Amino acid sequence: MAGGANPAMTQMASNPYQQAAGAQQAAIGRVGQGMYQTAAGGMGTYQNPYEQAVVNKTLRDVGGAAQLGLNQLGAQAQQARAFGGSRHGIAEAEALKGYQQQAMDQVAALRQQGFNTALGASQADLQRQLGAAGQMAGLGQQSFGYGQAIQNQQMQQGAMQQQMMQNLINAAKQQYAGYAGQPNQAMNTFMSGISGMPNMGGQTSSYNPGLFNYMQLGASMMPK
Amino acid sequence: MAKGGSKQDSVTLPKFYETALQQQIGMAGDVAQTGYVPYYGPEVAAFSPMQQAAFQGTDQMAGAFGMPTTGGQQYMPQAETFAGGVQGYSSAPIYQQAVDTLAAQRPAQAEQLSSFTIDPVTGALGANAPTMQPVALEMQGGSRRGK
Repeated sequence: MAGGANPAMTQMASNPYQQAAGAQQAAIGRVGQGMYQTAAGGMGTYQNPYEQAVVNKTLRDVGGAAQLGLNQLGAQAQQARAFGGSRHGIAEAEALKGYQQQAMDQVAALRQQGFNTALGASQADLQRQLGAAGQMAGLGQQSFGYGQAIQNQQMQQGAMQQQMMQNLINAAKQQYAGYAGQPNQAMNTFMSGISGMPNMGGQTSSYNPGLFNYMQLGASMMPK
Repeated sequence: MAKGGSKQDSVTLPKFYETALQQQIGMAGDVAQTGYVPYYGPEVAAFSPMQQAAFQGTDQMAGAFGMPTTGGQQYMPQAETFAGGVQGYSSAPIYQQAVDTLAAQRPAQAEQLSSFTIDPVTGALGANAPTMQPVALEMQGGSRRGK
């Protein structure tokens, strides 16, 4: 029998990746085995176990026919008073030769038919098994793809959930920053209130007169 | 008395304005000595169970093909549970460790840093806190206008 995939390797595994690995391994093994394999190894399985019986029967049939023919030949030779003569001998030898050829032709045809049938069946086996190995590799790849698709889906959904949680945390952090920074914020508000006022600075000038000024004043008051 | 007269110029502010400035400076001092206010809440969200399932899937994938796996080993620390069931991580313990290490390795520097602010636990003023260095906030050489 042409080698088949190991059933233990192809049994259903628990997760898609194990399925993929099992299928891949089985396919690799079968294809590798097939590289050095011929159909000859599997032919024995398809040899007809009754072929020899058919051959024997054929030989008996031809032998019976030959015997019958020789008997008829002997009778004819007797009638012609030539029984046991050289012509009778030659005729018998020719007849036997013909029967032997017939027997060999029929047996050869039977054997060839058996060979061709076994060869064809074994070749079909090999092709089917290698085809199945290829199919198994494809199924393994499919399983791998399922695993990946599920995993990616999990990753995407998980990331969405995590982002939602992160948004919640960020919102809380923002609130806290507002709380902790409130005094600073209040001071800035207070400062903007002051800086928003128009220029409040003012300037006052005063003049203290000196002696010369008083003398000038006195002179100006004198009658002229 | 000088022979000639003399002229004097002086800058003045309204009283309410000067008071407001004084309040602002005092408030700035108080705010400044508050010191750094750390955040002890969560900062980074933990991986969700769905993501962890995906990580396990990667391990299974590697294991199925005979490649190295983590063997279920966790790289991330255990996430903390905060209010509302939020699962996440806080940098507070790492920050605190760094502060403590600084205090142990370079105590003078740590002391100097904390001297500008209040003690975050007792509220005691640090030696260099603004309130510990009072200055007269009166207008120098000027006069007020108004009340």
